[in-house]
Formats: sequence, structure tokens, C-alpha cells
Amino acid sequence: MKLEVGHIFINDIQFASESKIENGVLYVDEEAVKAIVLEDEKIKGVKFDIAKPGESVRITPVKDVIEPRVKVEGRGGVFPGVIAKVDTVGSGKTYALKGMAVVTAGKIVGFQEGIIDMSGPGAEYTPFSKLNNLVVVCEPVDGIKQHEYEKAVRLAGFRVAVYLGELARELTPDETKTYETYGIMEGKEKFPNLPRVAYVQMLQSQGLLHDTYVYGVDAKRTLSTIMNPTEVMDGAIVSGNCVSACDKNPTYVHENNPVVHDLFEEHGKTINFVCQILTNENVYLADKMRSSDWTAKMCRLLDLDAVIVSQEGFGNPDTDLIMNCKKIEAEGVKTVIITDEYAGRDGKSQSLADADPAADAVVTGGNANQVIVLPKMDKVIGTEEFVTIIAGGNEHSHREDGTIEVEIQAITGATNETGFGYLSAR
Amino acid sequence: MNTGFMIITNNPLVKEKLGEDYHVEYEELSYEDTLKKVQKMIFQGYKLLTHPLSGSVKPNETPYKSVMLSESPEGLDAQAMQIIASAIQACGKFQFKSDLYKPQVYADFQLVDYTLISSALPSAESWR
Amino acid sequence: MSKIKVVHYINQFFAQIGGEEKADYPAELRVGEIVGPGQALTQQFGEEAEIVATIVCGDSYFNENLDKAKADILEMVKSQNPDIFIAGPAFNAGRYGVACGTICDAVQEELGIPAVTGMYVENPGADMFKNKVYTVSTKNSAAGMRDAVKKLAPLALKIAKGEKIGASCEEGYMPNGVRVNFFEKERGSKRAVKMLLKKLADKPFETEYPMPSFDRVDPQPAIKDLSKATIALCTSGGIVPKGNPDHIESSNASHYGEYDITGVMDLTEETYETAHGGYDPVYANEDADRVLPVDVMREFEKEGVIGKLHNKFYTTVGNGTAVASAKAFAEEYAQKLIADGVDAVIMTST
Repeated sequence: MKLEVGHIFINDIQFASESKIENGVLYVDEEAVKAIVLEDEKIKGVKFDIAKPGESVRITPVKDVIEPRVKVEGRGGVFPGVIAKVDTVGSGKTYALKGMAVVTAGKIVGFQEGIIDMSGPGAEYTPFSKLNNLVVVCEPVDGIKQHEYEKAVRLAGFRVAVYLGELARELTPDETKTYETYGIMEGKEKFPNLPRVAYVQMLQSQGLLHDTYVYGVDAKRTLSTIMNPTEVMDGAIVSGNCVSACDKNPTYVHENNPVVHDLFEEHGKTINFVCQILTNENVYLADKMRSSDWTAKMCRLLDLDAVIVSQEGFGNPDTDLIMNCKKIEAEGVKTVIITDEYAGRDGKSQSLADADPAADAVVTGGNANQVIVLPKMDKVIGTEEFVTIIAGGNEHSHREDGTIEVEIQAITGATNETGFGYLSAR
Repeated sequence: MNTGFMIITNNPLVKEKLGEDYHVEYEELSYEDTLKKVQKMIFQGYKLLTHPLSGSVKPNETPYKSVMLSESPEGLDAQAMQIIASAIQACGKFQFKSDLYKPQVYADFQLVDYTLISSALPSAESWR
Repeated sequence: MSKIKVVHYINQFFAQIGGEEKADYPAELRVGEIVGPGQALTQQFGEEAEIVATIVCGDSYFNENLDKAKADILEMVKSQNPDIFIAGPAFNAGRYGVACGTICDAVQEELGIPAVTGMYVENPGADMFKNKVYTVSTKNSAAGMRDAVKKLAPLALKIAKGEKIGASCEEGYMPNGVRVNFFEKERGSKRAVKMLLKKLADKPFETEYPMPSFDRVDPQPAIKDLSKATIALCTSGGIVPKGNPDHIESSNASHYGEYDITGVMDLTEETYETAHGGYDPVYANEDADRVLPVDVMREFEKEGVIGKLHNKFYTTVGNGTAVASAKAFAEEYAQKLIADGVDAVIMTST
């Protein structure tokens, strides 16, 4: 399966009377996007704002981050099973608006978390501080249930992203990248001497605010499965996960999955990147056994030599990670796992809730309990009301000089477990 | 042998929503003490059915925890002992702030914990 | 700004007094002198720091007169009131490494002066002290001096100035059980791919998070007939005959004891005690059977539940004792147990 991804660089976002992309500037007709958000009767009101790199701006609480894309050739559309109809994506041609994102923000539950600082020390910890962000802050109708509201905001973000992506349909990309994987036999013939490698991605799948959707299917109701790694580039996986800001995977991370991209870099040179294997992180222990059994079984069936396993979230998934690693290694398939750590504020506690000697090759996204002091920002998009109590904050979070003290687990993407960031620990 | 399951919880919403249809053991305990209660039962041979650190909301942040166990003892399980021990240990890594929220937030915590444990029900019912 | 004051500790060998034959050289303070490796350190410090005194001590002297040597050296360091204390580097010299670690730990704990040392990763001193004292990882011989000093001097300066200390891999100290964040040059996924390629090619790679180490032992097959078996008692709970005849240390034990209990039916307050530190010894001292249940084993012996109780028990103190030492003790006495025809061991802790 072959996918061409055309990059259209967005250097600036401005509100204007007409939505369009011109010379790297995204002009947004506020009324038009407003109408798109308000299509959902569960949303009473919406505010838009623009946050640019280097500005004294804090976005919080962040729900999701989404990169606008449009399918210009080939089957299906972006976010299949969610926005576009169900159809296999990942082939043909897709355009992506690079250098920008749609950020949905606003309170869903009272302990909502997620901070994106556009400047200052906090900005170093979130990859999204480098993007021009169109922030969507939704206000729900009264008396709405939390899960309905979560869904409404989730889908509103995708609709806005698809609308913006459409603006690029007739444009010529600034650069184009091509990604291609092969059938089992075909790949073996093409790269007879290259080790066969896959990417095992664990998806958060535990319940309200902890869910991920694959072609619209709730991942906790799935068996481990395989797909072409290009499918995620068309939005085959989307996030419904709002908890654990530092190590949840926003939709942006799924679309730009770094393991997929970095394995493609080596594809055909040092490895044969065979496929992506999806598995979940359920609460029920027997589900974990079953899912990890299936993952290991598929690694063997596909005659893989090695896999990279990535994780999402805290605590419970450590057990899935170790089960996957142990069972896959037991099949004679080499593993590297990516995780993050909760080693306590002093860095002295046991980092993971599970461990095994088979996990001898670990990449870490750092200690999420590290404390950081964030300066006062000139402008807050969303509300800081929850910063005092979000994960990692405490009653003293707001200090007299307006700075806030939090653990980096409150920062969106700080210790991402797909290896999206540069943070590590020793 | 399928002996059914029960839910150990300190979450009143779980008792309210699931107590009619399922065996729910509710006790007003802290998050950590609920885990310790589960640990005691694991030592008595009850089988651990759900992960004690379910959910990404951290211990000491949410005060609520629900864990599913077999309804009667089925023998000792080394892996379960290790999982519960790590979970209790993890409580020490997070600053206690369960008592800092506005009243409405506790309803949110209860709801999330309820959905987490509910997510195990289809699997539990198909097997037990 | 005045220079940072350093006191440097070295052994008799690096002071060019002599080798093993001079290892009993007592601790000596040389005020205003820069000796041996101190030259290289001074060079590396540039204008920022100076060695105000060097302390020289023989390795045997230090280890054999531990309490006195420690007290004397602490007094010497105190008299110079330095900003930082540096010991070594000790490379692969075991007793020197242990001395460096011990004295650095004492300087930090008792004088409140920060300390830093350096040695080879397999030096026993490293295992014992790397979690307490910043220990720079060096090569295994003095040929690695240049390299060692290049890491040791800047780290010492940083510590002396109270600057934030980065992750172990950035600063060159051995991982010390404290996880420290830092930004890598490549993102995590790229590092994962690179690690995977190395692992695939069977090349050495370095994990970013070593799993906590487990020494899992597979259970032996069950004893078929307990009534014919010889059972031995062993403990890391420090039970020893009254007076601790072999001076097993209350922590970080350097040896184990072997004691005959032929005819002993019960451990009493008058005959046995615990050498163990770190827990309240009252109940163990009152009745050592609480840790090493000789009384119950004798009953079982009488009732025929077990064949017999082995006439010797092996004991050491688990408190802070290095895993490597404990392993070595057990390997040794396990052979004795096998030779004596013991079928099984009951191992108790505190």
C-alpha cells in the first residue's frame, strides 16, 4: 500500500472574512467554523482563539490536538468511521497542514488537565508549543452528561480539522513524502535479506476519558489486529483520551506517529517495515492476557524479527507493556519498548508498576513527576481554574507572583510514550 | 470453575449503579486502604480480575477505586500479589490532593471510576 | 570571587609512598600540598578551585583501623573547612575504592560537606556507595586518569557551587537510583529505532531504564519424605551466640558465622542475641528463637516430623549488606551444607 503525503506549510493563522490558505497563511472565517462546531446541538457556544509560538499564552485544559488533513486521491476520507464513511484509508494521496493544529480545550470533568505554554520553560516540554494553534473552546448545553460532552467536543475538533484540511484540496504541496509497504510475500521478495520489523502500538482503552477509536470502533472492544502503517496518516486512529496529559496520545500524535515515521526512514534500507499491530490496554486482566497472547501470536505468524512496542498512559498499561514484551520476546522476536516513568518528585521511586528482565531495551520519555515552575502568562485560553488541582498541581500551585508549580505530567505531551518528544531520564 | 465475581469499592456511585445487579462490597475507605483490603483478599486466595491501577487518574488525585475479584477464593496467584503490591507502592509517588476539590468534582471522579470498572463487565460476564 | 576550596584524599600508592608494603601508612594531612592525581585535578579546575590540602592514607590502615582512621580523617577535613571533598579516583583498586566511598559518605553525613569520588564500575566500593556519593565512572586502571579527571573535576565544581546536577549520562557519574530528566538530541522514537537496529545486529546497546534486577531462583523439587530429611536453619537476621564472637557487623556485613547447636534445645536470652542493626532488637534478644526457630525445630525432630535438625546454623546480617556479598556467603556455606548431607534449608530474615 502506497501513500503520498503532501505537506503544506502554515506559518501563520489569522481570522478573516473568508477561509483560505494563501502563501503559507491560514485565514479562518470565524463564523464558518463556529457554524461547524454548533452543528452539534449539545454545544451551546464556542470561542476561537489563535496561539502562536513564542507568545505569552497558556492553553488549558487541553482536550485534543489535531492536524488538519484532506484526502485528495484514493479510497476513503480523513477520520474514517468517525467523520468520513468507513473505507480503508492509507493509499493514494493526502495533504496535511504542517506547522499548525486545531486544539480543543475546555472543562469536561472537574479534574481536567493539559497545559500547552507557547513560551517559557513549559514550552520546551510540549511539542505543540512549536505550532500555530487554532484553539476551540466549547461550551456545552446545560445538564449534559460528561460522556456526551466529551464526544461532542471530540467530534467538533475533527469537523473543524476536516473543514480546514479541505481548504488545501486544490493547493500544490510544498513537499511530498511517499510511504509504501508491501504484502507479506511481496515484501519478502523485495527485501529478502532485511530483518522483518513491525510496530506494536498499545491503545488506551479503559472507559470514559480513557478511550481510543480505530475506524470508529472503541478499542476496548477489539482483538489485537494488524494494519498498514499508512492508515494512521489518514486518521484511522483518533483519541478520546483526556486523562494523563503528559503521556496520552492526542490525535495529532496518531496522525504523525513518530515510530511509524522513523521506521519508514529505515524501511528498505536496514529493515523491512512489515506492518503496524494494534492492541489495547483494558482494565480486565483476562483481556490483557488475551490481547498480549494475540499480539505475540501475530508477531510469530508474521515471522517478525523485531518490534517496537509503545505505551499510552499510567499504571494499568505498564502491565500490558510488560506482558507484550515478555510474550513477544518468548516467541524469539526482539523488542524495544517505549514508556515513561513515575519515579516520584525526588526521582527515587520505582518507575513502573511492572517489570521483567525480558524488557532489556527500554526508551523512556522521562519522569512525569518532575516539578516545574511555570511563569505567569499574559493570556490564558480556556481557564486556569483547574490548574490548581490538575494532575501534578496542588493547593499551592498558584503562587503569589502568579507563577504555578506543577509536575510535568500536567503538560500535554511532556513524556509521550510513542517517543514523540526529546525528554528522557537516567 | 466459574464462581462469579464481586466488586470491592469505596465509590458510592458503583454501589448505587451496580449494587442491585452485582455483588458489590462497598466500604468507606481511602484509595490506598481499598487497595490494601484487596491485597488482603488476594492473600486469602481471591482471584484478582481487574487491574488495581485502572485509569490514568492518579492515586491520591482521585479518592475512588473499584477492583473486581472472584467471589470466592480460588488459590494463590503470585502475579496478582506482585501487581497489587506495585499498585500500593505507587500510591506513595503522588502527592495527596484528594481532599482539595469542589464537591461537583467528586461526582466526576465517581463517574470515571464507575466507567472504568464497568468496562470490565462485558468480559467478566462472558467468562464468569 | 575566591576560589573553591578542595580537600583531596588519596592512598599511599598514588602519594608515591609505596605499594602493598606501605599500605599500613597512617592517615596524614598535608596542608597546602598537591600530590599525585591532585596535579591533574588542579589543571582541570583552572582558576575556579584549588586543592588546599591533601590527605594520604594507606589502604590497609584505613580498612583495618576503620573507626580511628575515619575519625582522624574527618578531623583533618574539618580543620580545612573545604567547599568540597574529593577522594580518588580509585580505578579498580578494591580497598582504595571502599575507603574513598566510606570517607566521602562520612564527610557528607557528619560534616555536611559535599563529596565526590571516582572508580571503576566493578570496584566493590562502587556498588556500596554509588547511591550515597556521586561516583564518577572511570577506566579500570590509572591509565584512565586523564579521562577520569575530566569528568571528576567539572562535577566537583558543579556540586561545590550548588548547581543543578544533570542526569548520570550527562555528568559521567554512575546511576545512583535517582532518575533525572534531560533532553536528548534525538526524539524517543528515533532512539528506539536505533536501539532496535543494534539489538537486531547483536551489537551492544544501552537501555535507558534498566529494569529493577531480579535474582529469581527456581524452586527445588519438593522433599518426598520430611521425616527422613536433615533440615538446616540459616538466617540473615543476625542471630549469633551471646557476645557476637565473630564480630558480624550490625550493617553491611563483611562475613557470616557458622555455629554449632548440637544439644541446643532452645535459644535463650542468656545464650543468643542478634547482631542486626536497623530494627528493634528487643524481641530477638529476648528470645532468639523468634528469628531462628531452633525450639520448634527440636519439637518437630522429637515428634518425627523431620528427620533431624542440622547441627550447624549459618548466619549473617542482611541490613545494608551488598547483594554481591550475600551471594558470596551463601555460595560458600551452601557447599558446606551439601557436603554435610543437608536436604533442605529454612532461611529466615528479620
